[in-house]
Amino acid sequence: MSCTVRIASPLHSYTAGASRVEGRGATLAEVLGDLEQRFPGIRFRMIDEQDRIRPHMRLFINSQEARELTTPVRGGDTVHVICALSGG
Amino acid sequence: MTLSANERARYQRHLSLREIGAEGQEKLKAARVLIVGAGGLGSPAALYLAAAGCGTLGLVDFDRVDVSNLQRQVLFDTAALEQPKAEAGRARLAALNPEIRVVAHALELKAANVRALLADYDLVVDGSDRLSTRYLVNDACVLLGRPLISAAIHRFEGQLATYVPGRGPCYRCLFPQAADGMVANCAEAGVLGVLPGVLGTLQATEAIKLITGVGTPLVGRLLTYDALELRFQEFRVERRRDCAVCGEAPTITEPRDPPAPGPQAAPDGVRRLTPRALQALLAPGAGATPPLIDVREPWEYDTGHLPEAVNIPLGELPQRMAEIPRAAGAVFICRSGGRSMRACLLALQAGVASPANLEGGMTAWAGEVDPTMPVA
Repeated sequence: MSCTVRIASPLHSYTAGASRVEGRGATLAEVLGDLEQRFPGIRFRMIDEQDRIRPHMRLFINSQEARELTTPVRGGDTVHVICALSGG
Repeated sequence: MTLSANERARYQRHLSLREIGAEGQEKLKAARVLIVGAGGLGSPAALYLAAAGCGTLGLVDFDRVDVSNLQRQVLFDTAALEQPKAEAGRARLAALNPEIRVVAHALELKAANVRALLADYDLVVDGSDRLSTRYLVNDACVLLGRPLISAAIHRFEGQLATYVPGRGPCYRCLFPQAADGMVANCAEAGVLGVLPGVLGTLQATEAIKLITGVGTPLVGRLLTYDALELRFQEFRVERRRDCAVCGEAPTITEPRDPPAPGPQAAPDGVRRLTPRALQALLAPGAGATPPLIDVREPWEYDTGHLPEAVNIPLGELPQRMAEIPRAAGAVFICRSGGRSMRACLLALQAGVASPANLEGGMTAWAGEVDPTMPVA
C-alpha cells in the first residue's frame, strides 16, 4: 500500500531536504517503520521509547488526526507529520 | 464608542464594507488587543491592526532591535537599531495611526505577571519565539477566557490556529507538551523573511473577524502554509478531554513558568558540560581529549569553531554515526545547546556511551570562556 508522507520542516534534515516522500504500509506503524528504513533516526523524532507519538508531534491522515499507531492507512492517503514550531 | 470625523475619513474603506460598517469599526475602536512578541509575526499583525483602527494595542517584548531582525520584522527600520522593541514599535504604530492608543510592555512574560497583563486586554495575538512563552500565554488565555490567535514559523513553513476558550481546542490540545531545544528556532534554522508577513497578516485578519463578529474563525482547525510549494492545508483538531489546562480534570489551574534548567533536565545517559567544564577537559595535561562533534550547519562552523571540533551537521548525523567513537565520551556542540542535545539523544540511541552536551553551545562558550570566538 503506497501513500504520500509530508514531512514537517524540522525533520527535513533526515530526508535530504525532501518535504514529500513515498511511504509503504497498511498502518501508521508500518509506514513509519518503512520511513525509518530509508531515513534512519526519523521515527525516534516522532515516536518515543514507549511507542507513543511525542507530544510536540502530530500525525494526520489526510485532514484527520491519528492518535494511534494502529490507525489504518489506505493507498493514496497522505500522512502529514506536523511538529510544534517555536519561531516568531 | 462613536467615530470622530477624522476616524470616519481614515476608515472609509472599512465603512464601505457592509460586513464591517460603522458598527464594526466602533467595535474595533473599543477593542483591546495584546500582541506577544514584536518579531516577524508581531510586526505585520501590529501594523495592520493599528491601521485598521484597533483602539488599544499592547506590545510585549523585552528584546532590543538587532540588525538581523530587519530582514523580516517590518515594524522597525534601521534607525531603531538597539532600541527596545516594545518602545520602537509603539512609536512606529503611533506614527501610523495617532487615533489609537499603543502601550509598550518592555518586559518578559512570566507566570507572575501574565494574569495582570492579560486582564487589561480582550484578545491575544501570539507571535513569540519560545515554546515556553506559547504555553504560558495559552494557559493564561484558557484560565482568563481570552481568545488566542497563535502562529509559528520555521524556515519556509508556518502554522496558524485560533483558540477560543469553551468553543474549541486550545494550544495544549494540539501539542500537549514541548520544550525549547526539541525544536529549532529561527536563529538556528533560518527563516524566509516574507514568511511571517503571510502568517502575521492572517493573525490580524482573525483578530478583526473575532472583534467584529464577521466570518468563520479558524477554531478547531490548524492551517499550515508551505511557502516553497505555495500550499495551504487545513487539519481538524479536536479538544482533548484529558487536556492539562482545558480538559475535564485540569492539572494546570494557574499559569506557571517552565522548570528551571537543572541536572534533572538532561535525559538519562546524557552528560551536561558547562563551557568551563569543557575548557578544563581540553586543558593541556587533562588527559585524552574527547571527540568534539560540532553539529551546526557548515556555514555556522566556518564562522568560528573549536580547533578540535569535527563538523557533522545534525541532519547528516544518522548517516555518519559510524565516524563517532563509541566509548570515548563524545561532546556535541551547536549554537545554543538545542541541536546538540538532539544529537546526544541520537548518539545514545546508536550506542555511543555517555555523550555530553555543551550547555548553551558556542554562544555560552563565547560568553564565558572565549569572547573572541565568532558565533554565527
